[in-house]
Amino acid sequence: MSMLSRRQSNCLLGELLTMYCFLRFSILLVGLIFSAGSYAVNAAQPLTTADDLGPKVEQPIEFPHDRHAGDAAKGGMQINCMYCHTYARRSIVAGIPPLQKCIGCHQNIESVRETPRIKKLFEYWEAKKAVPWKKVHDLPDFVRFNHERHIQRFVFAQNKPVQEACGYCHGDVKTMTVARRQKPLSMGWCVSCHQKDHPVDATSTKTTHGPNDCWQCHK
Amino acid sequence: MSITNLLENWSDFRQQHPSDDRPHREYKWAMSIDLDSCTGCNACSVACYAENNLPVVGKEKFAHGHSHHWIRIERYWDNDGREFADQGAQFLPMLCQHCESAPCETVCPVGATNHTADGLNSQVYNRCVGSRYCNANCPYKARYFNWYDYPTTDNVWPEPMNQQLNPDVTVRGKGVMEKCTFCVQRLTVAKSNARSAGRSVLDGEVQTACQQVCPTGAISFGNLVDPLAKVGKQWMKQQVELNKDKQAKDAEEKAAKLRGYRILEGLRTYPSVMYLEQLRESAI
Repeated sequence: MSMLSRRQSNCLLGELLTMYCFLRFSILLVGLIFSAGSYAVNAAQPLTTADDLGPKVEQPIEFPHDRHAGDAAKGGMQINCMYCHTYARRSIVAGIPPLQKCIGCHQNIESVRETPRIKKLFEYWEAKKAVPWKKVHDLPDFVRFNHERHIQRFVFAQNKPVQEACGYCHGDVKTMTVARRQKPLSMGWCVSCHQKDHPVDATSTKTTHGPNDCWQCHK
Repeated sequence: MSITNLLENWSDFRQQHPSDDRPHREYKWAMSIDLDSCTGCNACSVACYAENNLPVVGKEKFAHGHSHHWIRIERYWDNDGREFADQGAQFLPMLCQHCESAPCETVCPVGATNHTADGLNSQVYNRCVGSRYCNANCPYKARYFNWYDYPTTDNVWPEPMNQQLNPDVTVRGKGVMEKCTFCVQRLTVAKSNARSAGRSVLDGEVQTACQQVCPTGAISFGNLVDPLAKVGKQWMKQQVELNKDKQAKDAEEKAAKLRGYRILEGLRTYPSVMYLEQLRESAI
């Protein structure tokens, strides 16, 4: 009687064991699927990976963004982005400053006057030629991106620091010498931000998301 | 979505945009064209070519129906026995009607043509794969297909004519559909300027290229939501309502005195362009 019951119980135990193994396996499987799924979800988020880095652009003069806009602790001058890229707040394009703007400051800065980059700058100035800067953030021709709208919204309405607002798309330019593309600037990446609710201004709790119709950006 | 649901609630799915519970918020761009003022001079068509980078395809391709006039003048000859030189004609500028319930939108396999929040029927060139379903389904035949890569193979803008291209409009490549945009590049600029000034676009602040050049001022364009807009006043005066497929005024006798109508309204496309009928001598 007891033998039988033990055999029965053994049998039951074995059954449980196989079930457990099976269950563990299936849990593993489910876990795998879930992790793959969450990876896919993460992949859709605006991540900045090494793959998003744009090509290195050779500029005629290696303009040191870090020296001009960088933190004072790291030897930067903390100049506002819009001091040079002055059109960003009132135009579709941010604008490359004219050579005059560079010279305006640099003719009064004697300490760096004889460095190779500044010498080159003055060569252009004396030859009365514009510096042929190369485009770093080049969007396709069918895309319309308006700097003014973004700067007005984030800097002037929301009171975000300028370098942070510009950095949403341009990365941490203040740590770079020659600027390089840091973000993918793909449609999915733009939309990921346009879908989020952003506060209308610095004080109110009202939020809106960016426009999402095709002709807002496509032309 | 089941097929029975689709069939039973067909009108709900069809009539997406112009409904009383979902009105347009800030903008609804619309046009009215006074056929009594139109002299058929084709200036609108020429202006559109210049503004929107339309290729001039030449006689042979035109004869094959490969033309690209986003706004064209349709001629309707008088049939009163007179010969050509004396024969009278009536003109009708035909452009994309920016239907609120556009037949072209529902058939696009890749969603390249959509409705914008401003009530425009948008066409996204880089999304278009060139199936031409939209063209087949457009009752106004207002869509044009790029059969060739005109800038390169046909060299329609030889140096230095490529300098005249409008940088705010894409130069379309081979195999995409295109159509009138209501000069969306101008609308976008006007909207952005208005936004910076903290207001809506004022009436007359933005003009389409065809409206700008029309020597008789036959074309008016504006925001239908704006109560001060000329175009809205015209629509109201003519008792043409945007979200009706059969105008209430047509049942009444006074309709004979009202000139406003929309083309092929009965197809329930809810066009955004209203035409003002030409006055006939017998009516005066």
